[in-house]
Amino acid sequence: MLGPGFVTASAGNDVGGIATYSQAGAKFGYETLWTLVALTVSLIVVQEMAGRMGAVTGQGLAGLIRENFGLRTTFLAMLALFFINTGITATEFAGIGAAAEIFHVSRYVAVPLATIVVFLLVLRLPNKIVERIFVIFSLIYLSYVVSGVLAHPNWHEVVVGSFVPHVERDPVFLVTVVGLIGTTISPYMQFFLQSAVVDKGSRARDLPAIRADIIVGSILAIVLAGFMIIANGATIFQATQLHHAAPIDIDTAQAQDYARALEPLAGEAAALLFAFGILNAGVFTATVLPLSTAYIVCEAFGLEASLDRRFREAAVFYTLFGGAIVLGAGLVLLVPKDSLLKLIFYAQVVQGVLLPFELILMLLIVNRKRVMGDHVNSTLGNVIGWGTAVVIGGLALVYVWQSVSSAI
Amino acid sequence: MAIIAPFHEGFVSELVGRPAFLERGGVRATIGRIADFVVEHPEDTFPRIDAVIVKTRAGQRAVPVADLVSLDAEGMLVAAEPTVERPPDDAALYLVEDLFDKQIVDVDGRKVVRINDIEVARTAGSLRVVAADIGVGGLLRRLGAARLVPGLIERIPRSLIAWDNVAPLHDLNPTQIQLSVAEHRLARLHPSELADVISDLSAQDAARVVGSLDDETAADAFEHLDADIQRSIIEDLGTERAADIIEEMDSDDAADLLGELSEERQEELLAEMDAETADDLRELVAYADDTAGGLMTTDYVWIYPHRTVGATIEKLREIAPEREFIYYLYVTDQAEKLLGVLSLRTLLLSSPEATIHSVMDQDIVTVNPDTKAEDVASTIARYDLLACPVTDEHGTLVGIVTVDDAIDAIIPQRLKKKLPRFTKPHQHRRLEQTG
Repeated sequence: MLGPGFVTASAGNDVGGIATYSQAGAKFGYETLWTLVALTVSLIVVQEMAGRMGAVTGQGLAGLIRENFGLRTTFLAMLALFFINTGITATEFAGIGAAAEIFHVSRYVAVPLATIVVFLLVLRLPNKIVERIFVIFSLIYLSYVVSGVLAHPNWHEVVVGSFVPHVERDPVFLVTVVGLIGTTISPYMQFFLQSAVVDKGSRARDLPAIRADIIVGSILAIVLAGFMIIANGATIFQATQLHHAAPIDIDTAQAQDYARALEPLAGEAAALLFAFGILNAGVFTATVLPLSTAYIVCEAFGLEASLDRRFREAAVFYTLFGGAIVLGAGLVLLVPKDSLLKLIFYAQVVQGVLLPFELILMLLIVNRKRVMGDHVNSTLGNVIGWGTAVVIGGLALVYVWQSVSSAI
Repeated sequence: MAIIAPFHEGFVSELVGRPAFLERGGVRATIGRIADFVVEHPEDTFPRIDAVIVKTRAGQRAVPVADLVSLDAEGMLVAAEPTVERPPDDAALYLVEDLFDKQIVDVDGRKVVRINDIEVARTAGSLRVVAADIGVGGLLRRLGAARLVPGLIERIPRSLIAWDNVAPLHDLNPTQIQLSVAEHRLARLHPSELADVISDLSAQDAARVVGSLDDETAADAFEHLDADIQRSIIEDLGTERAADIIEEMDSDDAADLLGELSEERQEELLAEMDAETADDLRELVAYADDTAGGLMTTDYVWIYPHRTVGATIEKLREIAPEREFIYYLYVTDQAEKLLGVLSLRTLLLSSPEATIHSVMDQDIVTVNPDTKAEDVASTIARYDLLACPVTDEHGTLVGIVTVDDAIDAIIPQRLKKKLPRFTKPHQHRRLEQTG
């Protein structure tokens, strides 16, 4: 029932997702909703390419990059993937830390504890079971849908925000959009999905089912994301508009500030619900991401990768996933408490900046007849795929240029 | 005669990118850079390199090895201006283009790995491919680590696969008439090892490997594969080929496999088989997996009681090669009712003139088709049997459960994977080398 597309898209709603969607809604109301609508199309097209490559070639994305672009490109890609994924792992622990602080539990207690839990989950429970537990707990995000409705948003504004593109000249708007892109279409999601399709032994004949799974999963994930924005827009943003509260500053905001989006549903218990949501997302992603990254990197370099092996037999594999968890958790303990959310947010921005590179590699491979046979991209697929790469690449360039020039 | 001095051995990655020189009037002129190496007979055990591809300003040129004056880490000196353009798409194997970064099966280690680098050496006057480097050392060499940290690569334990154990996956082509390299190297493996390799492959490659094997080898390997891998491969092979392979399998394994498929698909496959095999399989499929009926095979030897021992031995010699289990002979009447059992040992020790009836053991332990797998296993254990006959309510012999299938049924999958292997690689038949 739960296909790879569904699980992957849900994994996109991790701590970084919750934080980014909350900030977008709290800061800009419904004005960023249209980017999500556009991203739905891109997400489906990009994920479908990854699924198709897996089903047709029987290889993961890393393996295909290696066969088509050689070792050096693969090395750079894997280096980038490892570091960004370690960064994301850090954001998951940051989320766990932030959730703990809501309960007045120090993150110096919570994060080491979570690290132990994560190691136990990885080493003691099969990935499939972890995945299922997570997806069940993910139902908690439905609370954003209920809360968004109960907050009585101005539905007319929601529709306008969703379908009429609108750009603010505020530089924060640009960084928010890049962050939204990065968290909605994370680079690791394509690797993850393609490997899952290969592991299932799917073939070209299974493509209709793979596509259906990806389309349903992507739409559901983005609808949830949209309601996170709406719930935050209808509560926090509305309050700042009416001058009941100071505008949100994404560089100083704290996790508990965003719990208020759940108040229409949960009232006093909003903070509890919010914390539980991030805790679930954080623990799951911190469990799954370092492990799948280690598998992907080892696959690319032909190194032994299996939890059934002893450390000596698969040293690189164990070092990579153990290292990602320890580095990620450690980073969170080094960063001052007030910067946790900022860390989470900017990790999404980095993902948005790196995404175009991945998309270009994917598009080049998926158009090779020697690799894909009759399953090369259609013209429409190419228009949307290249369009996505160019637009995101352009935004990333503008953002980088803006940050560099303001730094000078 | 090629003079490839002072080159003795080295890695392809160390040679690629090096300059190619030509001597004109005592002056060395660079004509291009080494790009690739061409092997015309990849099926040889340690294939010879026949030409070097040089990237010149005018495009890629093939330099026959006979034209090489010297080849070393400094570069390559050629005797004559290379004029042959690189053929666009021929049957030859290009070491860098076709093999670097590609997946191969390590036949000895029975794993799918990627080639990081290729070792070549001069033997018997020619330059030959001797090993694939699949280790971290090869990765670092490719990435240029030797220049950054001298001596680093030498400190890493080497991880080389001798070339006769390399089965490249890219050359598996079902339409090819000649055996591919992968195919004849893989066919050396014991069926259970071949199954390990197949389980390690992607679904796409698994279907291609099985498709390239002969029916018997494929059937033997199939018996050791997990149900979902079997099913996926069967879907890829086409009905006729799949039916041929299933027909070659032991009947109990064949029935298990058919039981995993839809009834529609079962009938399609059974329709392609001969009527007798198909009927046997239809009966077996009807039984539940964890019962004697599901475990049993119909591939046993049965005899009539009035025969003599001598005639039986003659007959057995004739049919034994085709049968899975010959250690017990089952004595039945015309209606297939089980009358007695005879071990191969008793048969050999009895006088050739004696009748089967006089030497058979009439005190028979049997189970029903519905007997649970654990009970079958404990019956076999209690009476120290190699196989236990399965009879229906009329005492008619319908099959036998062999001790190995009984063990398989009661040992959990996870434990089975951890059990030591009892067979050594390469003890099975070798296909004749082609070419």
